[in-house]
Amino acid sequence: MTAGTAQKRGSGAATARETGARLTEAAPLNAVLHWSQDLLDAEASRVDAMPTPGALAAMPVALKDNIVTVEQPTTCASRVLEGYLSPYNATAVDRLRAAGAMIAAKTNLDEFAMGSSTEHSAFGRVKHPLDPTRVPGGSSGGSAALVAAGVVPAALGSETGGSVRQPASFCGVVGVKPTYGRVSRYGLVAFGSSLDCISVFGRTVDDAARVLSAISGPDPLDATTIDRPPMQVPKALPDLRGLTVGLPQEYFPADLDGGVATALRRTTEQIQALGGDARLVSLPNSAYAVPTYYIIAPAEAAANLARYDGVRYGKRRVGPDGDIRALYRTTRGEGFGEEVRRRILVGTYVLSAGYYDAYYKKAQQVRALIAEDFQRVFASGIDLLLTPTTPTPAFKAGEKTEDPVAMYLADIFVCSMSLAGLPAMSLPVGRSEGLPIGAQLVAPHFGEERMLAVAQVLERTLDPLAEVR
Amino acid sequence: MSIGLDEVLHVAKLAELAVNENEILRLVDQMNRIVNYVAKLDEVPGDRTAEPFLAGPKAVMLREDVEVTVPLARPPSAIAPEFLEGFFLVPRHGAMEDQ
Repeated sequence: MTAGTAQKRGSGAATARETGARLTEAAPLNAVLHWSQDLLDAEASRVDAMPTPGALAAMPVALKDNIVTVEQPTTCASRVLEGYLSPYNATAVDRLRAAGAMIAAKTNLDEFAMGSSTEHSAFGRVKHPLDPTRVPGGSSGGSAALVAAGVVPAALGSETGGSVRQPASFCGVVGVKPTYGRVSRYGLVAFGSSLDCISVFGRTVDDAARVLSAISGPDPLDATTIDRPPMQVPKALPDLRGLTVGLPQEYFPADLDGGVATALRRTTEQIQALGGDARLVSLPNSAYAVPTYYIIAPAEAAANLARYDGVRYGKRRVGPDGDIRALYRTTRGEGFGEEVRRRILVGTYVLSAGYYDAYYKKAQQVRALIAEDFQRVFASGIDLLLTPTTPTPAFKAGEKTEDPVAMYLADIFVCSMSLAGLPAMSLPVGRSEGLPIGAQLVAPHFGEERMLAVAQVLERTLDPLAEVR
Repeated sequence: MSIGLDEVLHVAKLAELAVNENEILRLVDQMNRIVNYVAKLDEVPGDRTAEPFLAGPKAVMLREDVEVTVPLARPPSAIAPEFLEGFFLVPRHGAMEDQ
């Protein structure tokens, strides 16, 4: 498969057969929860019958299994939703199909998108495509692994606190989170409603940009979408003259992994060589982003996941003597996995009487300070920020599963942008001991087009396969 | 601040979540680690404030207060385990068994 050439891929039927063969070959990654050749062939017939090919002309796109589809189950990698069939499609799915894309597969994830390694799936962990002993990142690890393995040129994931950028960095692909409200959340299973964003993986910046352009724009079915026209695919820039990039000092700690530090230094030098300017800036409240996130997200999750009670969705575990409370508790206790149960408990705790002010209200105060830091820096003449996406390359499976706080710290460079609702992306910029390293670009609200245009220039001029140590 | 066993059991009850006896001590330990970690926010003085952060548009559009077609690909009768004359059939509540 050649990335970035979707419009020349030929007929949907041929692409569907090739994609099916690649999905079969990629089965050992455990990246896919649902796919069938019959559904792929039906998608091919549909796109081949379209009067015009559309912007995504027969591009096979995989979907994280927390984005609802009529034709395939949606499980969120949870036993609680096993076998659930949605009666409607997510708006993003309808828009992809209208643009000529073929829905190829539903991908594995951390249960209900809660995790940073895709080890917390009820259906087994996803393996890193380059080293099966390592994790692909999470929670959208299945989508990242499929794109990295060359099975599909693009996939949808979802971000609540970095769940597309972090696995994109680990797997060496492009991952783009839009401004909150730029893509409809209608049909994205809710986790943290003030944070959730459907986001995009691509083998190339162009593939990711074209998919994001197709799914963005206001939606009457989601009142939190912004009333702005869809994002445009950016025009190619010859160089980076006139660009000022900020390097936030808090994101370059002294103990940053050597390979990551070298790759980021090389990226900064490339920006300067292409005519851009790079300046040190400060985002002091980003130091509190992880604890802030791990109060707000579990609090919202505890409320959102209350609906899975064994009555309205999925399988039911009946308690003794038809006791309805026992039914709720047994269904939820047995249906949710360990990480989801833990977050529901933390969320319930921080919202409970006596603790609300100390935790939730405090976290909202700090969230406002974090967002204000970004506004101040962008108002000072900085066009984009450049940071590492992750503090290390992909870690070993099992390395952090016993210590939830260690796992949460894998998101240390990505969750502040989610708290501030900003667009951000990860771009592969080198390898350390064979493992991909991502650089993160962050833009002001609705700055996706410029961010992607700059990423395209870097993609063109930096070898992502180069060893940087 | 630390969380004890009784507090975790109380929160589990509030969350309608059965907790397995075999995992409870591990859960208490992990919740304590998380709560101690997020307590790092205490370092931020209470008087440092910014304009409250609002995700999404400043003014949320309200839908017209009119009845519209629900955009379902399948009718409720096709997705309900049991459906009769326009109603979902649900299991009888245990407390009503005698009626």
